[in-house]
Amino acid sequence: MAIATSELKAKIIESLNLQDITPEQIEDEAPLFGAGLGLDSIDALELVVMLEKNYGIVIKDIEEGRPAFKSVRTLADFIEARRSS
Amino acid sequence: MGVIGAPGCGVDEIWSAIAAGQSGLKPLTLFQSPRYGQIPVGEISQDLTVLGAPLRGSRSDRLAWLAARDAIRSASLNVESVADRTGVLLGSSVGGTYDTERFLTALIKQRKMLPRPTRFHECSSPVDIVADYFGLFGPSFAISTACSSGALAIATAAELIQSGQADVMLAGGTDSLSHTTWAGFHSLLLVDSQGCRPFDAARGGMSFGEGAAVLIIEAEEHARKRGAKILARLTGWGASCDAHHVTAPHPEGAGALAAMQSALRRAQLTPADIGYVNAHGTGTRDNDVAESKALKSLFGANVPPFSSTKRFFGHALAASGAIEAVVCIEALRRQQLPANPGFGQLDPAIGMSPVTETRAAKLTHVMSNSFGFGGNNAVLIFSTPETVPQTRPTFSTPAIVTSLGIIAPENATSERQIQPPLPPDSVKVHACGPLTDVATLTPNQRRRLSRITQMAILAARRSHTADPMKRLAIALGTGFGCLDEGAVFIENLVAKDEAEPMPTRFPGSVHNAPAGQIAIDLGATGLNSAPTMGEISFESALWQAMNQIANGEADEALAGGVDELNKYALTIGKRWGFWNDQTIPGEAAVIANLAGAETKKPSLARVTAVHLGRYRRPFDAKREVDWIEQAVDLGKIEMVVTGAKGWPELDAHYHAVVAELSRRAGFPLPQQTYKQDCGEFYSASAIGFSIAVELARQKQCAVLLYTLSLRGGKALCCVEP
Repeated sequence: MAIATSELKAKIIESLNLQDITPEQIEDEAPLFGAGLGLDSIDALELVVMLEKNYGIVIKDIEEGRPAFKSVRTLADFIEARRSS
Repeated sequence: MGVIGAPGCGVDEIWSAIAAGQSGLKPLTLFQSPRYGQIPVGEISQDLTVLGAPLRGSRSDRLAWLAARDAIRSASLNVESVADRTGVLLGSSVGGTYDTERFLTALIKQRKMLPRPTRFHECSSPVDIVADYFGLFGPSFAISTACSSGALAIATAAELIQSGQADVMLAGGTDSLSHTTWAGFHSLLLVDSQGCRPFDAARGGMSFGEGAAVLIIEAEEHARKRGAKILARLTGWGASCDAHHVTAPHPEGAGALAAMQSALRRAQLTPADIGYVNAHGTGTRDNDVAESKALKSLFGANVPPFSSTKRFFGHALAASGAIEAVVCIEALRRQQLPANPGFGQLDPAIGMSPVTETRAAKLTHVMSNSFGFGGNNAVLIFSTPETVPQTRPTFSTPAIVTSLGIIAPENATSERQIQPPLPPDSVKVHACGPLTDVATLTPNQRRRLSRITQMAILAARRSHTADPMKRLAIALGTGFGCLDEGAVFIENLVAKDEAEPMPTRFPGSVHNAPAGQIAIDLGATGLNSAPTMGEISFESALWQAMNQIANGEADEALAGGVDELNKYALTIGKRWGFWNDQTIPGEAAVIANLAGAETKKPSLARVTAVHLGRYRRPFDAKREVDWIEQAVDLGKIEMVVTGAKGWPELDAHYHAVVAELSRRAGFPLPQQTYKQDCGEFYSASAIGFSIAVELARQKQCAVLLYTLSLRGGKALCCVEP
């Protein structure tokens, strides 16, 4: 089952306590880190917790998650790949 | 010197492990850890009671006591003869957290309130325990700047001696293991499951540890007069702040480099003089790369032999800088380079190899690096006793207060409802209203930072306008620090058995989070300190900030105090009968902008003296006024601001001191109090300071701020127009 990116966006906003932003304002392909939403390394760790809590995916090395955290799209693909493997 | 850590208790045991390349890492037994229990840790397996530690106190307190005892013994110091001029300065960032966790576990899992383990929660508790037990009455406080605390405490102790406030200091650091810090660093994915491998290509993070180390630092003349055996000379120290990120080091190691350069300047040495560097070398990917870049920037192609000794001890947080100071002094004494266990393969990103086996070398000057959360850096340089000390001009000019930023409660009280997991209750408080200018914070500051840190940033902005041309130092005193943030982290940890950790809240819960965040907000790259010492936490910060200006290390310095109402302190205080109609808990953030007296900025007042110490029991007002008289000219004091109307047991002491001051002045000195308005909290004397500044300005007279702490600390501050 494909992950709905709107659901994922809501979870990102909740887990990072993002202010003044709605899921609709986040584009699927927009970068999450750096220029995009302005997230940093601590937010990446919060996303690790969010993935485990909601999708049962355990990441032990942040390097492992780095390619997945590029955008909402890559994160959704990553979750799907992990769940079907 | 006294030292205890995973490899053993005492300098000789520790050095045998280092000589043999024997890591102290072993399986965790101190507490249950369902998720991470298999990962090796630098736990002290000896029974502290068998080693002689008193039963009283937290695990951190008792470790500090053991190190202090051994240090006093090995220095043949007759403490009674030097008691009034000997202080205690220890770094601690865990404090009594390990013991507090039992309180929270009982509360959350069994709905039971245990009173005992919370008595030694504060990071200043080790200082109180050591000073009380050994009977020391000189200037004493604790520094809580995460992993640089121990090194910063040693540097600050040296400055206290230089400034003439003490002849001898017991200085170092202590931190026990705790489930909180253990799970916290795991939540940051910073722990190497195979044990730390500093500078190795395959390194995967740090290892955890615990321990304590205490050095006896003495003015040279004093040491020679009593015929002490001098082990080494502390020739240089430097502190800086990355002002970059809460957990990640500056990628180029800019702050680390600045601290090393500052230490060299103070020692009047060049990079080529340094024969060995004890690196911070945690074994995390980022630290080791940033630190090696800083080393290359400083030493160029001639980086001296360096090693991280973290795999021997594990990273003992606030104690690590002090433990590594002991390692450096032993390296000098034995003329040996300590090994860097865990290193096997060169990392191309680092391009240098540390010392792989402990071996002989000719050493005259050695450097020790300690870096911590909040980009907090401290560097020490030790030299052989034969080296000739360079003299450096010392300044004694007072500082001026150019502005004050205050967030304080309204005069009225309100009722605060206590939240779960504590039983429902309601406590009368002096609370600050909503933070009106919170909207001026950046979105990241609003979503991430706890309320106390936001209060500190807003107060700092009200007192200081950022200026990249000015070197800014920050010293922010706090009693409980970010206890709210820490409590949420531990509640979650206990309730969910380590699942769903909180990586944002963990670094946000350290005492130096507010000071570190102000540095990021204002771009302050100078000293960044979070002193803590019960009711004299603010004066400890004021002294540190003043001293940065006096030493020429900063153009301006922020001195402040910050504490917030916390449901645990409210509830436990109520159960114990602390809170009543006179003693009402409060909160505030106060930040004073200080500058050198020679600057042409308009000033509100001058701060002409700040002295710290401990009072003897039973309290003797005559003796206390003698102490005040040594520091300030009583003839010019026209008003006294005291911390009376807070803790009832201190009121009699304050009144007796004001009566004795009046007797000597020949007229009744008016006493102004502040706790009736702002309530009782550890850094409340910052409000007292703001009142003293205002009185000095309006009435054009010298005002004495006098503060006592329940656990034995005292402080004075003289404010003049």
